[in-house]
Amino acid sequence: MEHKLDVSGLEPPEPMEQILQAIESLNSGDYLYVIHRREPRMIYPMLENMGIAWITQPGGPEGYEIFIWRKDDHIANAKIPTRHPQ
Amino acid sequence: MQVSRSSLSLEQAPPISVPFRFFITAPIFGLLAALLLLVYGPDILISRWAPATLALTHLITLGFLGMIMCGAMMQMLPVLAGSPVPRVKPVATAVHGLLTIGTLALVAGFLSGITGLFHLALSTLGLGFLIFIVAISVALIRIRTPNATIHGMRLAIASLATTVVLGLTVGAGFSGMTSLSQLIPLTDIHLGWGILGWIGILVIGVAYQVVPMFQLTPEYPQRLTGPLSWVLFATLVIWAPLYLAWGSGQLPKWVPDTWILLPTIGYTLFAGTTLWLQHKRRRRVSDITLLFWRTGMILIAACLLLWLTSLTPAAKNQPAIPLLLGIWLLFGIATSVTNGMLYKIVPFLAWFHLQNRQVALMSMGKVKVPNMKELMPDRLAQRQLYAHLATLLLLTLAPFWPNPFSYLAGLGLGVSCTLLLLNILQATHRYQQVNHELSDFESSR
Repeated sequence: MEHKLDVSGLEPPEPMEQILQAIESLNSGDYLYVIHRREPRMIYPMLENMGIAWITQPGGPEGYEIFIWRKDDHIANAKIPTRHPQ
Repeated sequence: MQVSRSSLSLEQAPPISVPFRFFITAPIFGLLAALLLLVYGPDILISRWAPATLALTHLITLGFLGMIMCGAMMQMLPVLAGSPVPRVKPVATAVHGLLTIGTLALVAGFLSGITGLFHLALSTLGLGFLIFIVAISVALIRIRTPNATIHGMRLAIASLATTVVLGLTVGAGFSGMTSLSQLIPLTDIHLGWGILGWIGILVIGVAYQVVPMFQLTPEYPQRLTGPLSWVLFATLVIWAPLYLAWGSGQLPKWVPDTWILLPTIGYTLFAGTTLWLQHKRRRRVSDITLLFWRTGMILIAACLLLWLTSLTPAAKNQPAIPLLLGIWLLFGIATSVTNGMLYKIVPFLAWFHLQNRQVALMSMGKVKVPNMKELMPDRLAQRQLYAHLATLLLLTLAPFWPNPFSYLAGLGLGVSCTLLLLNILQATHRYQQVNHELSDFESSR
């Protein structure tokens, strides 16, 4: 299941705070679809430490789209490339 | 479709003590500047060449602005460009120590006239800036795909190097170590490169990133960001020999004075664009940093008008005008902008380091990391903003009515810097508290 999160109108570090909060509520098979106006480079090391996978691609309504899921969640993992080919 | 997995590694981000030691020292130098105003009063505003005035100027430029800009640059390079400063901890310790000793010695040298203090000041400041410039240059050169901010930083560092070399030269001349035939023109060129080069171009380069990011404005237009820093730098490169030619009697003064209008217009264009972008911002909530920046941007345009006024025959024998120009440039613009940025940088860094540690320890739900507003409450920042604006008003009146406004401005500056120091210390204390809680959590596992 996709959880959409638009952080494009938020001031740093609120996008990071909201993304980290949203990750905690991800169930098996879920992934986060984040709409952002900048590339959130500072959150990547945190995601890495948490065992979270991500793909950032330019585009979408605000400039960047980020897909975030648990590394060990193969069901969520399988959904990402199907919906959004790399 | 481009997919990005690039990231900022945690090892690249310098420890929080690196920028914070600079940020805490800055308002202490501001307090010393306030003390100087209170002690010397109207005497400090007779002429910009008075030793106490030069001491005051350097407390603001080296002590306040220099500290914040050096600390912020060491922090920003890895964050904004993914290029860490090499050996950042020893570099920060050396630069901070040498600049602190050098600034104190220079100020004491100006006030006492003791040559030995100038020797100490010039050697420590020279070495401190040399280490800083080399370390930052290494980080800047390593960046493969520079954007407008990086170009701005490179030109700002080149301007700093020029400012320092000129500063050491006129410092040696001022203290009698060497005899200089063009001491006054060289001092003005040192000032020009310091304000319009190092401070101005760095502020512009950083603004391209932080204004859209923190103030939620549209991006700066590329037709401005592409050429502006280069044009400003080039105008200074040409202005310096024109000014020296005036100094040696080969050119009339109006030639370099008219030429310097070019960078001034460039800065006014930047200020106008920033105000327009702020007007177009997405989130129309009151923001302390934005108000500090708005003050600075309005004063850039005011400085252009004041400079034009200073060129009229009626203003020729009016010493208050160059003093006011200096006050607006250094306090009204540079201090407003850097002070305002601290209200984003300080809580953001504290939050970022705590959040990183919390994630590394997997202590979510066990230890609460405070958000930005909890680390730096708006009411505290707002109180300091009002003190800063009141000081700016008093300093604006002081060149015209030195008594009593120089004393009142000193008082205002003292209050403003005390509040700024307390606000930074308060955020630091909150950071340490939560960091201890995280350490307790770590040891209890």
